[in-house]
Amino acid sequence: MLKRYKEEFHGRKFQFILTDLKGVVLESDQHLLAVKEKELIGDVHPFFFSLPEIMQGDERTTSFHCVQLGDRTGELTTDITVEKVDKRLLVIIENLTDHYLSYQSIAQSRNESIIDSELILLKNHELQERERFKNEFIQNFSHELRNPLTNIIALTNILQRSNLNEEQTGILEVLKGSTSNLKLMLEDILSLAMISKGKLALNPTVFNFRQFIEFIRLTYTTRAQEKGLAFALTADEKIPEYIEGDRLRMLQIVTNLCDNAIKYTEKGKVALYIALNQKRANTINLRFGVKDTGQGIPEEKLETVLESFEQLGKSEGAGLGLAIVKGLLALMNAQIKIQSIENEGSHFYFDVTLKYPLHHQSTLLTSKHAVTHTSPKISKTPKKFKVLLVEDNEHVQTSLLKTLIDTGDFFIDLVGDGALVMQEIVNKHYDIVLMDVNLPNITGDQLAKVIRGLPFKNIKKIPIIGITANSYKEQIKAYKKAGMNIVLSKPFDDVELIKTMYKLLR
Amino acid sequence: MHISKKIVVLGHFGVGKTSLIRRFVENSFSDNYKVSIGVHIVKKEVELSEEDTVSLILWDLEGTDDISRIRDSYLLGTHGLIYVFDVSRPSTFQTINDDLKKLEKRVKGVPVKVVGNKTDLILLDELKTVLDGKEISYDYLTSAKTGEKVNDLFEQLAKMLALDAEKI
Repeated sequence: MLKRYKEEFHGRKFQFILTDLKGVVLESDQHLLAVKEKELIGDVHPFFFSLPEIMQGDERTTSFHCVQLGDRTGELTTDITVEKVDKRLLVIIENLTDHYLSYQSIAQSRNESIIDSELILLKNHELQERERFKNEFIQNFSHELRNPLTNIIALTNILQRSNLNEEQTGILEVLKGSTSNLKLMLEDILSLAMISKGKLALNPTVFNFRQFIEFIRLTYTTRAQEKGLAFALTADEKIPEYIEGDRLRMLQIVTNLCDNAIKYTEKGKVALYIALNQKRANTINLRFGVKDTGQGIPEEKLETVLESFEQLGKSEGAGLGLAIVKGLLALMNAQIKIQSIENEGSHFYFDVTLKYPLHHQSTLLTSKHAVTHTSPKISKTPKKFKVLLVEDNEHVQTSLLKTLIDTGDFFIDLVGDGALVMQEIVNKHYDIVLMDVNLPNITGDQLAKVIRGLPFKNIKKIPIIGITANSYKEQIKAYKKAGMNIVLSKPFDDVELIKTMYKLLR
Repeated sequence: MHISKKIVVLGHFGVGKTSLIRRFVENSFSDNYKVSIGVHIVKKEVELSEEDTVSLILWDLEGTDDISRIRDSYLLGTHGLIYVFDVSRPSTFQTINDDLKKLEKRVKGVPVKVVGNKTDLILLDELKTVLDGKEISYDYLTSAKTGEKVNDLFEQLAKMLALDAEKI
């Protein structure tokens, strides 16, 4: 009885096949596979095809694990042992389907998880590459735009000082407005690229916060009125008069939020509030918020509205404002938050911690933040100065020459090649050098270094103004280190240039 | 003339070895990934001419990222190898040159075809640049999904093995 049970048990799990050395079946049971006597074992299943060839070697026994012998009728996963016995081959097949089935499910989940994580990493890498490419493209492209934009600004200013009739003046105003917008957009694009590349560092200084607020009030009251909107600004009176922070970047954040609110509001009002959340020994935490009664943001757009180039519908601008706000606030360890109801309005706000000086003399305040648009002619001096203008770009040459000549204060020599500069400087006496950094043969900063190393006292101290399309802080620092007194980044306007020149000639 | 040749198809897991074989044998494709364990063997006859046919006995091995873990018994009596990698997953072709050297030591003189599969997922120009950069040479770039170059791969291999058999 026991023998019968044993046979039944083993019978379900094993099959024994005996063949000759060529693979012709001599004997077989039929427990797992249907095998006929005298047929070639290779015809039973393709697995067996190569057995006779394999067993021609010296090996007496060979084992194969986890061999799938199943067909469409069912799974059959086996371990197979082949033994050479008396010039015959004994094939022992053990059915281990259940055992290997559990291994299969483990392998399935392990492999899927590895493949998924690999694909996520690849996707992430691809996104980073795209971001890097985008930033490099933006940076290069915006640098390329700086030269022509500088010319447009300079020539527009020159044109404004010529005799224009009323119609021409009107057209010129539109031209100036567009140029100014273009310049702002270019600066936004560059800021964003620099934030993305981690190259933008904050430059905190102590500044008059009340003046800062007043500047915003004046600017946006006018701007809102132009669109028929009301603008309200409230600031907690307990906020110290002087605070320490990057004024320029703070202004960029607030103006971007206000611009955005005005842009998307057709009627009603825009309100900016600044509340004091907390005040400690020398730090304050402020909440800045901008509320509007505009079109609001659809819920599905709330997540993406802070991304670059995202805009609500068709509107002017590049859609960079909020992305810049997000990036700048991240540098300040702050985060923009948005509440919005479609067709009712939006509320953008953030909390930021800033330092404030405990004792700050009002006299330390300078008027450098005051916005003035002085005509270059106002600074006219009785003396005429000799200027060496070093610039290879013909368009820039023209606009700079016109700007300088228009003041009536300068005699100008023009050199287009860096290699000729030293000869000019040594042989003629100049009061100031105005020099492009990117020159053929020898660059402007290299020239500045050589000039500063000359043995002639009157020449080595000559003021040098560098002009560059590069706006990276570290690069400008390097130009100054090479010997340039001041470096102007394109695009700059002629007022800025002339003021800088007078400052150095004083 | 009728000959039979054992071909072992190997490579990392998830590169599409089973899909390539299924495309060639059954002319079908499934997007569902089912892990192969151990070895699955199928046979397909390739007609080279009216008189000449080659039976390819295709051993579809369980994928592994460590080629040295492939059991010796699976490689016994092999006439040809197909090393498959996934063109969209660099991890499946980063060690290819080392893997091929290791295989050469284990199955001396056996011809190997290197196949980049899943070309439907990426741009071929980009792929070729990447492979050139890594000094990886390949024989076929296939897509089991679209069938691109799949028959070419097996048929060319069959022809090559038949020619070798004639020489012997």
